[in-house]
Amino acid sequence: MRTEFLRPIDGLHLPEEYRALLRPGESAFGLDGTAHRLPRFFFEIRSWEEAREIRLAPHFTLAELMLVDCRETRVLLSQFPHYVPCAILLLARFLEDFRREVDAPVFISANGGYRSPAHQIGGAKSIHAWGTAANIYRVGDTFLSDAKPNEKYRAVAASLSPAVFVRPFGREKGQTSDHLHIDLGYASLTPRECSEAG
Amino acid sequence: MLSVDVSNGLHKELEALALRNKARAIGVALHDFETGFRFSLRGDRWFHAASTIKVAVLLALFRAADEGRFRLDDSLHVRNRFFSAADGSLFRVSQDRDATPELYSTIGRTAKISTLAHAMICGSSNLATNLLLDFAGVEYARTVLQKAQIDGVELRRGVEDHGAHERGINNEATADGLLDLLSAIRGDFLKPESKRDVIRILLEQRFNSMIPAGLPAHATVAHKTGEISTACHDIGIVYLPEREPYIVSILTEFDPEREGRRETVAAISAAIYRSLVGTEPKANED
Repeated sequence: MRTEFLRPIDGLHLPEEYRALLRPGESAFGLDGTAHRLPRFFFEIRSWEEAREIRLAPHFTLAELMLVDCRETRVLLSQFPHYVPCAILLLARFLEDFRREVDAPVFISANGGYRSPAHQIGGAKSIHAWGTAANIYRVGDTFLSDAKPNEKYRAVAASLSPAVFVRPFGREKGQTSDHLHIDLGYASLTPRECSEAG
Repeated sequence: MLSVDVSNGLHKELEALALRNKARAIGVALHDFETGFRFSLRGDRWFHAASTIKVAVLLALFRAADEGRFRLDDSLHVRNRFFSAADGSLFRVSQDRDATPELYSTIGRTAKISTLAHAMICGSSNLATNLLLDFAGVEYARTVLQKAQIDGVELRRGVEDHGAHERGINNEATADGLLDLLSAIRGDFLKPESKRDVIRILLEQRFNSMIPAGLPAHATVAHKTGEISTACHDIGIVYLPEREPYIVSILTEFDPEREGRRETVAAISAAIYRSLVGTEPKANED
């Protein structure tokens, strides 16, 4: 597992341009009205090559969990360094457990891993801004756009930990129809070398 | 020949063609940049736009890029999940009906906007069309058409939205409107680089059995076809090395699934060529 490129940084020390977009440690209200603090500590990623090199778990590279489309703000889309919340490690660990359980490759969709609070989809209201959520659109050769496979893998994911939330399949608000949304809640991770003082 | 003679002659010939081929209706509009000649036969009649509406989406897309809303080499999440213009219900487009099946292998990942634009026009991809229209927004696209002073194109929804179709919410166009659309593309509505790119995409059209089939082999056509059960259209800019181009839109309506629809459009294209150039097109000449 290659993690030597991972450099944790305190988001409060980032240049203003990045702080305005990532809003480290700020309170944000979720869709259900609950308030949570946005992630403060990030890994700094210097290039896509580096993101592809960094293996967070045996079967998951960092690049897979940070792929976004042009709905992400320009600075965070095409300019390096990129910043990804440290809790992405927890997500990768969970996805590895899930992969082992289903015994097949697990594919995360674009915009389906970490999205910044400035991303046009959900923004800071979305749990994806914590780096603790993943949208799985395919398991092995099966696309999760039908109820049956979706429900099957939903049950598998939910069985792995009481900390895991999986959205039900469907066409209503809060449901998903072409992927499996899993998340670990509003978890944050403070690397041991980082201080939360200040 | 005086343009009034050309106009009368063409009018009669096209009417006879429509009758002979049992077309329910035809609408034709023409603008020749060599002579300035303009022609319109029922150019204000509304037709289901079918896939010719994709040219309107293309115009809106490049206009948005010109305005700095996004870059054409930006990537877009590819997903087959759309919402009906009728009631917001979810629908998917069918891979079986799409001429660009390769695009479906990117579902879940991303594709460049320029790649999707190419697929929307050259392969008439419904998936690409809905992704791009979803992204740019129907309202925005309508505003672009308004700014370009195109009255005869009503863009209301994406494609394969059967729920909307059942409620009569359709994309519609007139031959005059689609002529205005192509004129906007050829004019200065877009930045020069965007104009060049849009025409290049239209030149790479893969379906060439209508307007180009009625022309000599040395003609090149920047065009877009559109076919549904009752409609069969082709609109394009015709380039001939010996003269200035002309723009033509040919819209036809038939009883469902009637044979010979494309041949009718090709015959109309040939008749227009003859009336402008004065010679018979030889489709397979060297």
